[in-house]
Amino acid sequence: MHRQLNAIEIFTQTQTIPSDHVRKPTAMACLIVHSTTEQHRINVADGQSVRDALDITEMRVRAACGGTGTCGACVVRLVGGEVTAPTVAEYMKLSPDERAAGARLACQLRLMGAAEIVLDQPAPPSQWKSIPPENLIAAPGSLPSLAELIYGVAVDLGTTHIRVALWDRRHGKRIATRHGPNPQGAFGADVLNRLEAARARPERAAELAKLARSAIVQAVRDILARDVGEVTPMLAQISQVFVVGNTAMLALLTSRGINDLVNPAHWQSRIDCVPKDLAEWHAQWYMPNAEIVLPEPVAGFVGSDLTADLLATGLTDGPPGSLLLDVGTNTEVALWDGRTLHVTSVPGGPAFEGVGIRYGMPAEPGAISSVRDAAGNYACETIGGSEARGFCGSGLTDAIALLVANGIVKQSGRFEVSPGPDGFSLDPANPRTAITGNDVDAFQRAKAATAAAMEQLLAQAQMAWSDLRRLCVCGAFGRTLNLQNAQAIGLLPPINPAMIELHADASLAGCEMALLSSDGAGRFAALAARIKATNLSLAAGFENRYIDHLRLRPIGSHAEHERISSCLIA
Amino acid sequence: MLNRIVKAYNEAVFETDKEAAFEVVNAALANGMTAEDIVFKVVIPAIEEMMSNITKDPDANLAQHFMTAQIAAEVTEKMLTKFKHPPEIVGRVVIGTAHGDLHSLGKRIVMGCLKAMMVDVIDLGVNVPAEKFVDEALARDAQVIAVSAMMVHTATGEGGARKVRQILKERGLENRFRLIVGGAPYRFDDRLFLAAGADAWAPDGVSASRVIVDLIKEVKAS
Repeated sequence: MHRQLNAIEIFTQTQTIPSDHVRKPTAMACLIVHSTTEQHRINVADGQSVRDALDITEMRVRAACGGTGTCGACVVRLVGGEVTAPTVAEYMKLSPDERAAGARLACQLRLMGAAEIVLDQPAPPSQWKSIPPENLIAAPGSLPSLAELIYGVAVDLGTTHIRVALWDRRHGKRIATRHGPNPQGAFGADVLNRLEAARARPERAAELAKLARSAIVQAVRDILARDVGEVTPMLAQISQVFVVGNTAMLALLTSRGINDLVNPAHWQSRIDCVPKDLAEWHAQWYMPNAEIVLPEPVAGFVGSDLTADLLATGLTDGPPGSLLLDVGTNTEVALWDGRTLHVTSVPGGPAFEGVGIRYGMPAEPGAISSVRDAAGNYACETIGGSEARGFCGSGLTDAIALLVANGIVKQSGRFEVSPGPDGFSLDPANPRTAITGNDVDAFQRAKAATAAAMEQLLAQAQMAWSDLRRLCVCGAFGRTLNLQNAQAIGLLPPINPAMIELHADASLAGCEMALLSSDGAGRFAALAARIKATNLSLAAGFENRYIDHLRLRPIGSHAEHERISSCLIA
Repeated sequence: MLNRIVKAYNEAVFETDKEAAFEVVNAALANGMTAEDIVFKVVIPAIEEMMSNITKDPDANLAQHFMTAQIAAEVTEKMLTKFKHPPEIVGRVVIGTAHGDLHSLGKRIVMGCLKAMMVDVIDLGVNVPAEKFVDEALARDAQVIAVSAMMVHTATGEGGARKVRQILKERGLENRFRLIVGGAPYRFDDRLFLAAGADAWAPDGVSASRVIVDLIKEVKAS
């Protein structure tokens, strides 16, 4: 290893890829990060500061002023390259000697081409990262009229991740976002394990609630420390915390409704997750002035995160035949038929998040996010462009679709020639690009559950696939999804791709819209009033649909075949 | 002709291609084969072959088991409507998921295979109380009670198979019915079925139907 550790190499894609492939007008630059243990690469948008680019990764610079150049904490060393000239803030914060040695402020530094910098003093390791800006929504038009206590926090409490955004509600300005792991994961990745743990012992329930609450406030504190510069006085300026999540997470957050959730008989009914101990929350959070809003979840198996999706996508503003799909640990589906919002959830997601897949992983650096057929070879593109470590959902979808298209995997999910227990490597030189028979199986079952859930809601609304006019795919999974491949193997319906919209962080977006509206809780309640929730495990016909959708082929093709075959056989 | 049909049908089943299987059956009917022969000479031998292959075919996955069982059940169901005389039933089983468990799909494979093997299946659905398993088994004069559980706490908990066993004991019905369990947790510990109070278990849905047929015969012989 001759390379200097902790060096960050930055160069634009224009140097490695022919210019006609560069997306304009926002060119993306590629950032290679060498830490003491590994190498990362991240994409940097044109005009984005190096600090903002690093905040999305685990390699954060020190910071205490929100990127205005006033704290001088984010010093990095420029080794060389094409970058913007030092700003006035840098002349004020850095001595001539420091500047001569290459010191720059990461919040002021922007890329004009290739560059290389060294991060001598990174921020202490943290689990909180910024959410990529392309996943965020613009502020909605109308804002609450507030004279004081103008700050608010939107929280999307997921089973695996927590997403938080701090807003200046009066001016409609998002100060910063964070996402990080839900610390309750230590008590089981599976929701039911956590619920069981909480049900069995009240002190464990209290512990789980406190864990989630402290994670939320840690994220807010991280924002205040790095992006505002003061913490406790600002916490007192927060007037609202708006929390959405799946029902189990809300129950575990409030220690309410847990017994109901463990009993399937109650899954279809309303679950009361209204906290009884708000004084304790205020004390733990140091937010004495915050109104804490937790809209009621739709039912035991459909949370308020789905309502937030509905708000963010404006599903009911669209034509009848508007379908929403939020792919996560649990996949939620909603169909607007012009009068009623039919909603359900299905345990279809884990495979799309890499769970149960041999080399499955979340959409993180090194994950194969897309696969292309390159003259008989498989060209794997990874997040950040580094060496492939495994597949995230979109890469898995592409891989299986291409294996089916090339006749390596049959529609039944069976390999034409068994690849053995090690699976079929897309890149023979890299075993972590392998797809095994079990991977195909897990994928088939996940996509069949998803397609069957959509079809069940259509049947309830007396609609057909051909009646679809709009499809909103929510969740990080959709962001890098190749729609044609998803349609070819029957994960998404075969509708005109122009009718398909991708909304990466829709739950947080809906939560933010509620936070910025004068009556966010009311908007949630209005949507909830139109909802008809269906528990698929009790729905007639769901199992048949599920089995019919197991084959790897476009949705709808079997219906036509079956109609013909059934006529004959009768 | 029969050999050709069996070969084409087995191929369609191996490919889990329901439409192709239906086409084979349609062609056989058009050629004058009876519905009875299709079930007893084509469908049932195909299931039996699948059962004997299942341990030898590590590449067959769960999705394929679902689809194969579905083909067998649908073809049999359609053929039964064409039978000249109602077929002789091998026996009767009541099946459902344990109390507290809504995972209904596991028992689908079992039910599909059992139906094709001329076993009368009474599906009690999901989240079934232990009392109901016993009451229905009595009322329907079944030989076997089958309890499916996909979570550790429903597979070994007090409200599931263990309670069914306890009720059988209390009511003196232990000689009248056999109790079989199935589901993911039992696969991780092959002694777990004993802790659940069951007489038998099976590692997959296809094998379960064979075990159930054996249990039916056992009860009928006693």
